[in-house]
Amino acid sequence: MKVLEESAGGVEAGESISLADLGRPAGGGRATLLVFWKRL
Amino acid sequence: MVCLGAFETPDSCEEWRREYALEVPVLPDEDGTLFRRLTSGWVPWSILVGADGKVVFSENEFDEEGFSAAIADLLAGRRPSAAATAAESPMEPPSRASGSTTTVVLGGGIGGVVVARRLRARVGDGHRIIVIDRSESHLFQSSLLWLLNGSRREDQIRKPLARLRRHGIEFLNEEIIGIDVDRRLVTTARATHPFDYLVVALGARTAPESAPGFTEMAHDLYSADGCRDIRDALRRFRGGRVGVVVTSIPFKCPAAPYEAAFLVEALLRRRGIRDCCEVHLYTPEHQPMPVAEASVGASIVDMLAARGIHYHPLFTFERMRPGTKEIVDAEGRSERADLWIAVPPHRVPDVVRSAGLSGVSGWIHVDPETLRTGHPRVYAIGDVTSIRLPSGKSLPKAGVFAHHEAEVVAAEIASQIRGESSSAHFAGDGACWVEVGGGRAAFARGNFYRDPEPRMRVVAPSRLRHWAKVAFERWWLWRWF
Repeated sequence: MKVLEESAGGVEAGESISLADLGRPAGGGRATLLVFWKRL
Repeated sequence: MVCLGAFETPDSCEEWRREYALEVPVLPDEDGTLFRRLTSGWVPWSILVGADGKVVFSENEFDEEGFSAAIADLLAGRRPSAAATAAESPMEPPSRASGSTTTVVLGGGIGGVVVARRLRARVGDGHRIIVIDRSESHLFQSSLLWLLNGSRREDQIRKPLARLRRHGIEFLNEEIIGIDVDRRLVTTARATHPFDYLVVALGARTAPESAPGFTEMAHDLYSADGCRDIRDALRRFRGGRVGVVVTSIPFKCPAAPYEAAFLVEALLRRRGIRDCCEVHLYTPEHQPMPVAEASVGASIVDMLAARGIHYHPLFTFERMRPGTKEIVDAEGRSERADLWIAVPPHRVPDVVRSAGLSGVSGWIHVDPETLRTGHPRVYAIGDVTSIRLPSGKSLPKAGVFAHHEAEVVAAEIASQIRGESSSAHFAGDGACWVEVGGGRAAFARGNFYRDPEPRMRVVAPSRLRHWAKVAFERWWLWRWF
């Protein structure tokens, strides 16, 4: 694990988010696993 | 699945996708907009989103088993067990005051001892309190560092758990092999114990064997045997490089690796060989006590520098090479030392995992204020838990939190037994000493539940504060045993 930028942000379990930014409509009928990575 | 490259370009994403032969989309988040919005700034970061757009988990601690279970639950249309929290589960009505109850406490560490003693003080002898631990004695872990520098013998920091019987508490020296929260049974190697209330205070187990090369090359900072070995090795040390390495996070007691470095440096100076020695500390953290604000970390970094201790943050340990006495990080960087002192990986006890009590972080998720799990009248306290702070990080693992949490749970169980409601809650306050060697200690205290980030204050080292730590150790072992 590596920290890129310490922040108090981040979503938590139970919150709703829109995946429209990723080209996936809300309620699109599929679960999505997002994995953020960075080449170190 | 979608991989998002934080601050990566389209070209670097494509290169990465080809390198790992991924057949999933790998998209750039060039300016980090999504990264900043959805995470707390760490990589890797995983977020599982259901078809309804609801987040199932959002974590930077990877737990393969927990993730797999959560994904399987989601695909099967089941509510993921990891997402059930005390806030979501129905409130269990207070028990009626009449009738005898049985509270089983798993673990005889700080949390287990305090919850049992405080509960006994609040409820009559008609209610059973049973503490179960596979060890016959309590080990005061924060004094392990004093084994390392020869200030303590092991018998001075252990107390027999059988002494709890003097206080009307049953103690069973048994191995716990099963926890069934549905049938409300705890199974040990000898018997099955039904419970009305359960407090899981099993702590974190250390797993040095899971760090490649650890058992062949390094001394374990987190065991009594390991600290004695370190003491003996330092007595024989003639000069060279001493390395303290944190192999993974989280670990118990955020200050411990730093205290170890301070004490080692002081010991070498006392032996008159400091000039022919170097002390180095390697950790994946970006600062000492990373959950605290930057100024806390900075003050400890200053203390390290003042003593000539070389500090290497953001060293993500991968393995040890016993043949060359090197540690290697995730980027292939290697560092060599003549004597290695290591913080082993920490894991949730197997019996907790197999009982299905651990969440996606690998630890038991509890309500931050009441310490309730998602199961009625089942609580978890101390190092076995993972509590998310308003800052997005996790509450550190430390005895002070186990102690305060135990007080809250004892009050809540006692209230339920009496048929009353409880207003007891854990407010996130904590404090600890930081031994810096030479008979001096600094002191840090603050509130970890503060929004948006914990507020802590570090008081400069002094001999008085070291003696306060000594006095606290003596008082605590006397008070609770």
